[in-house]
Amino acid sequence: MSKLRFLLALWMAKLSIPALKITRHQGTDFPGQLALKICPDLLKYMGRPETVIAVTGTNGKTTVSNIITDILEASGRKVMGNRAGANILSGISTAFIRACDLFGRIKGYDVAILEVDERSSPRVYPYITPDYVVITNLFQDSIMRNAHPGYIAELITRSLPAGAKMILNADEMISGGVSPENPRVYFGIGPMDSDVTECINLLNDMRICPKCAGKLRYEYLRYHHVGKAVCCDCGFSSPESDYLAQHVDFAGKTMEVREGGRVYPYPLITDNVFNVYNMIAAIALLRQLGMTHKELAEYMGKTTILASRHSQEKVGQVNLIRQMSKENNSMAGSRALDYVTGRPGRKELIFMMNSLSDTGAWSENTAWIFDTDFEFLNKDDVAKVICTGPRFMDYRLRLLMAGIPEDRIVCIEDENDAPDYLTYAPGDDIYLLYGTDSLEQAQKVYEKIKRLALAHDTGKEARV
Amino acid sequence: MKIEVLFPEVCNLFGDLANIRYLKKCLPDLEVIETGLKSRPVFLDEPVELVYMGSTTERGLGLVIDALRPVRDDLIARIDAGQLILVTGNTLDVLGKTIRSDWGLDLEGLGLFDAHAEYKMLKRHNSMFLGAFGDMEIVGFKSLFGLTTVGEDANALFTTVRGFGRGGAVGEVKEEGFHRGGLMATYLIGPILPMNPPFTKYLLRRMGADDTLAFEDVAMEAYRRRVAEFHSLAFDPVYR
Repeated sequence: MSKLRFLLALWMAKLSIPALKITRHQGTDFPGQLALKICPDLLKYMGRPETVIAVTGTNGKTTVSNIITDILEASGRKVMGNRAGANILSGISTAFIRACDLFGRIKGYDVAILEVDERSSPRVYPYITPDYVVITNLFQDSIMRNAHPGYIAELITRSLPAGAKMILNADEMISGGVSPENPRVYFGIGPMDSDVTECINLLNDMRICPKCAGKLRYEYLRYHHVGKAVCCDCGFSSPESDYLAQHVDFAGKTMEVREGGRVYPYPLITDNVFNVYNMIAAIALLRQLGMTHKELAEYMGKTTILASRHSQEKVGQVNLIRQMSKENNSMAGSRALDYVTGRPGRKELIFMMNSLSDTGAWSENTAWIFDTDFEFLNKDDVAKVICTGPRFMDYRLRLLMAGIPEDRIVCIEDENDAPDYLTYAPGDDIYLLYGTDSLEQAQKVYEKIKRLALAHDTGKEARV
Repeated sequence: MKIEVLFPEVCNLFGDLANIRYLKKCLPDLEVIETGLKSRPVFLDEPVELVYMGSTTERGLGLVIDALRPVRDDLIARIDAGQLILVTGNTLDVLGKTIRSDWGLDLEGLGLFDAHAEYKMLKRHNSMFLGAFGDMEIVGFKSLFGLTTVGEDANALFTTVRGFGRGGAVGEVKEEGFHRGGLMATYLIGPILPMNPPFTKYLLRRMGADDTLAFEDVAMEAYRRRVAEFHSLAFDPVYR
C-alpha cells in the first residue's frame, strides 16, 4: 500500500513538471511539495545514486555545494542535486523526483549533491542516508528557527546515521563535535597574518570548553569563535586539520593545501577568508572521492563563486558592489561588514537586510542586529550608511550605539528612495548589502543606482 | 556605579548583552563586572547597583545552576533584601524548580519560584509580546523551547496585553515573568532595554542613576513605532 502511494505521489509530481515548465516555474519545489502531501515518507522509497553527499552548516553550504558540483561535472561525473531548488525536504524531494524514472529508480547519475538546511536534518537523513556529510560551520542563525548552534549540532547528531563520513571544520569547534562516533576528516586554514588571539566580535559562541566548561584560550582566532582553541583547565583542543589551507596569498591569488605532510599548490578563487574555508571544505570532500590535488587545482581555477552572492562592476565613475548578507543572521552580517570595511577606498553603503517575508504578518525580531558588528563601520572611509525598510529606526539606534557619527547615517523606510541619497563621487565604492528576502527588490534598487551613477557621469538627469 | 554581568561566557545569546552595552552608553562611567562560572558573584559581598543574567543554551542552564547552587541561600537573602537583578530569556528557568526536555534534559532548579519548565526540542515557540509594567507598555519577543507551568503564588513581572504569558495559550495567562524582592525576571529575549526606553528609565532610577537615555529621541521613536505595530490587529502574535 505504501509503495502504491509512493508511485501515485511520484507520478502526480512528475506530471506537474511539464506544467511548471509551460508556466515558467521550473525552479520551484512544487513537485516535492505535492508528492510529500500524498506520501510524506516519499524519500524512503526513492532510489539513490551510488554516492550521496550532504552539505550543511550555517554559512557557505550553497557555495560549497556549487563548487563540488561544478568540479564533479567538469570531471565528467553525472551529478544530481537541489542546486536549482530549496534546501529543505520539499526541495530535496523535487531533486529526486526530477532525477528518477517512473518507478523511483535513479539511473544515469553517479552522485547526488544535496544542500541540506540544518533544521531539516530530522526530516531528511532518516530516509536519504548520505555517504559523506560536509558541515561548513555552525553559528548563531535565525533565533526563531535555529535557536543556537549547540542546539543545531545536537539536532544533526541525533539525525545522522552512524557510518556517514563527516567532513568537518577543525577551526570551528561546535560543528567539529557533531556525531562524535562517526568517521571523520577535518579541514582548516593555518595561521594567517590577520589572526588575533582575543575575540573582537560581539558574537562568540564558543567561550568555554565543550568537555569541562573551562575557559578556552585561542592560539589564533580568525573571527567569532573560528580559530585554534585550547582549554585552560583540561587541555582539550581543536583537532588537527587533515586538509590544511596555508600560505593564503590574496594578492597573488594562490594558496597551498597540506595533506599528510605533502604540500600542493592551488589557485585562489576568492578574496576573503570565508570562501577559503568553502574551498578547502570542497577539496577535503573531493579528496574522499579519489580526485587528485592536480585535478582539483586545475578544476578549481575554472570555478567561480555564485554571482548572486557577490558581484561588482564599474558604472560611470563609481564601483557598484553587490554583497549578500543574510538577514536574521548576525554572523553573516558581521562577516559581510568586516569584508566590506576591510576593502580600501571611500565607500557608501545601502542596507537591505530587511526580512521582507516578515512584513505584514509578523514584526521582525531585531535581536540579531544587536549581535551584528556594525562597529566595523566606524571608519573614516565609510562616508555614508543608508538603512532601509520597516526597521529603519532600530537601525539608526543600533548604528548610534556602534559609535557611527550621526551625520553619516541616513535611515529611510522605502528602499527605492535609497539611491537618491548616495553621493556618486568619482572613485567611490557603492555597496548594496541585501538579504535573501530582498533579491528582487535589491535588483530594482541596483538598477536605479546604475541609472543615477550613469547620469552623474554624463551630467544628465536620470530618468527614474 | 557598578553592574555585574553573571556568567557572560554562557549567558550571551540572542543579543541579550546589548542591554548592558546600552546601559554603558547611558552611563559612560558605569563599571561593568563580568563574573564567570567559576567565581563567586561579587554582589553577594559588596554593593552592586544591578545584576544581569541573559539567555543561555540548555547546557548553560545546568552550568548556571551548578554555579549558583552553592550560594543559593545568599542569593535568596540578597534578592529578598531588594538587590536589583534582571534576568532575561530562558535563564530564568534556573530559578524555578525543574527543567525537563524531550531530549533528556532533567535539571533541578534553585527553587526560588514554584515553576516547572518543559521543553519540546523540535517545537520552538516564537511570539511577540505586548505587555504592561505599571503604566508603561512593554514590547518584546519570546523564542523558547517551552512554556512554564507556574504555581499561583509566583508574582508576575509584566501583565500580558497581546501574546503569551508565562504558560498556557494566547490570552489565557496574563502573567509574564517573575518578580520577587529586587529580582525582575522575564522570558523576553534580546535587547529589551534599548527596545523599551520607558522601562530603562525606570531601571536607571531604581539604580539611583540619572535616567537620561543614550540616543533617547531615537530610542523613543523606535519604541513608539513598535508599540503601535504591536497594537495593530493585522499582526498575529505567534510566529508561524
